[in-house]
Amino acid sequence: MPERPPAIVARGIQRAFGRVQALRGVDLTVPYGEVTALVGPNGAGKTTLLLILATLLMHDDGGVSVAGHDPVEDPGAVRAKIGWMPDSFGVYDQLTTDEYLTFFADAYRLPAAAAARRIAELLELVHLTEYRHQPVHVLSRGQKQRLGVARSLVHEPEILLLDEPASGLDPRSRVELRDLLRGLAADGAAVLVSSHILAELSEMADRVVFVADGVTAGEHRLDELTPATHRWRIQARDPDDLAEALSAFGVTATEAGGGHEVELDGDDAAADLLADLVTDGVRVTAFTPLGRTLEDAYLDLTDDRR
Amino acid sequence: MTLSGIRTMARQEFRVRLRTGRWRTALMVWTSVIGLFSLLLWSALQWLGVTSSIGVTMFSTLMLFVLSLALLVMPATSAQSVNGDRERGTLASVQVTRLTAADIAIGKFAAAWGTGLVALALTTPFAGWAVLEGGVGWLRALAVLAVVALLIGVVCAVSLAASAVFPRTTTSALAAYLAVFALSFGTLIAFLLASALTAETVQRTYGERTVETRVPQTHRVWGWLAPNPYVILADAVPSAIPAGPAGYVLGFEAGRASQYAVVGPVIDPMEWIRNGVRGLRVPPADDYGAYGEYTPYGDAVAIDPRTGEAEDGGPVWPYGLAFNVALGAGALWITVRRLRTPMEEPPGGTRIA
Ligand SMILES: Nc1ncnc2c1ncn2[C@@H]1O[C@H](COP(=O)(O)OP(=O)(O)OP(=O)(O)O)[C@@H](O)[C@H]1O
Ligand SMILES: [Mg+2]
Repeated sequence: MPERPPAIVARGIQRAFGRVQALRGVDLTVPYGEVTALVGPNGAGKTTLLLILATLLMHDDGGVSVAGHDPVEDPGAVRAKIGWMPDSFGVYDQLTTDEYLTFFADAYRLPAAAAARRIAELLELVHLTEYRHQPVHVLSRGQKQRLGVARSLVHEPEILLLDEPASGLDPRSRVELRDLLRGLAADGAAVLVSSHILAELSEMADRVVFVADGVTAGEHRLDELTPATHRWRIQARDPDDLAEALSAFGVTATEAGGGHEVELDGDDAAADLLADLVTDGVRVTAFTPLGRTLEDAYLDLTDDRR
Repeated sequence: MTLSGIRTMARQEFRVRLRTGRWRTALMVWTSVIGLFSLLLWSALQWLGVTSSIGVTMFSTLMLFVLSLALLVMPATSAQSVNGDRERGTLASVQVTRLTAADIAIGKFAAAWGTGLVALALTTPFAGWAVLEGGVGWLRALAVLAVVALLIGVVCAVSLAASAVFPRTTTSALAAYLAVFALSFGTLIAFLLASALTAETVQRTYGERTVETRVPQTHRVWGWLAPNPYVILADAVPSAIPAGPAGYVLGFEAGRASQYAVVGPVIDPMEWIRNGVRGLRVPPADDYGAYGEYTPYGDAVAIDPRTGEAEDGGPVWPYGLAFNVALGAGALWITVRRLRTPMEEPPGGTRIA
């Protein structure tokens, strides 16, 4: 089977707001069947980029194709294929959750019977079934956020553009969102999600696109980012004992976060070191792997934050 | 643009509008105010001892009042429609659906107009009361309601456009009220100033005397009054009064009003506006002396020498109505353009999301 062309291809996108150059040349590729994370500091232009992809904002320069269509030339064709969730959005007062989703189902021209079925399914998916007849504006922030996810999925889009969907969600809802997005990607959808919660993205995303200061600073597969060496943080009852033992074993350690951070060649080396420390009589209280690969890359990238 | 898209948007807007408790109260207050006005009007006419065609007076006055109230209230209902949705963060989510800019604009317009028509429908019992008092034909009543309905639509469209053009809701509300003010009073002011500028020196003979006076040539500038909603309403509907000597029907000379009110013919404010405006279209007569008449209008109206009636310069309302319909259509067009996405510039420094 021939490889499907990417869901989103963007090359050299530029966009200015007055004298603020929000985007100064963003390149982005979002393939089907994978979750792509969009990461960057505040004001990097993530929301602006998503607005352009969602057919809401024109770009000044560059080329964009979403679902094989140009969002400026043929926004209707793009809209039929994408689901967009803004980072902050309002809900209509005085509508029930059910009516809210029904309106959007109508707006996406779903036939009434199909719409009712889809809405029941979505409410179940985001655990809002019991709030079906509640007015939307009484929902909590996290519940509204989940409703927003449901709304963006109403018409079963093949491409999802989510702007910080996890903000305001409780831990369980985050895990569920992660599983939901992974599931959609597994079913062949293209998911582009911006977030600041890197630990979560590293579990959810296949690819990561760094945007800083309006330009693409890097496009990587997440497994490429995983370096050969891993880092662990070790804590002990007596830190001096620990430091002594580590230097005796010839392991270079840096003091950080109330413990010592060490770089080791994988899990076996870590297990060996722990065994050695315990045998040596160091009373180890914590031996934590630091899953900070994405965070490291991010911090490197944004070192020179203005 | 599709009919189902417009219907989806309109239904949504209508539902959101009617759900808020405020709306029910507003419609109740509206109905009470109009009911109270009708009652006071009726009592006043009874107290004055007006006997002839009390229904005509009531209906005419009531509908002018309803128009005034509608002009006052309508901007408040739709002048925050688009930018209010933007502020609440609900617009962008709708714009990414398959509803087009035209669907959204026309749907919103339909809901706003529909609300206005509901308000108008609530006045029909009182209008019906006036009709039952006699003197007003059903055709006339329907024509009046239709013209008011149309004018309400125009105000809604203009207010909606204001909400799409201005980023802040306070600015758009102000703009909508200014537009209504310009139509109701601005046209009058413009007409008065313009007609002063047209004044020419004319020699006139009043019996033996010849006098030189400056006479405004209103027939050249009456157009300024045409867009006025009161003028359109009063002029568009068929007259309720059988033709009679102008000086008599309109015999409202100072100090003699009460006398005419009691014994005189029908008091019809719409008729006054209508005759006044149509009279403006007649070029001033060169020589009044020949007929020895002088009209209560002063110089504005000439008396037709053959019939002895005020000359009718022809209807004004087709021009006014055409202007207003064009205004409404233009406003809708602007609204559609402003809702079109992808957007080149987010309006006035606001964020889209
Ligand atoms: N409508 C607008 N008018 C003027 N400037 C804007 C507008 N929208 C965005 N900007 C500017 O463009 C830049 C990028 O903003 P954007 O919202 O895309 O950042 P972001 O990456 O989403 O940030 P965050 O992580 O805080 O959400 C910022 O400097 C912002 O001030
Ligand atoms: Mg953002």
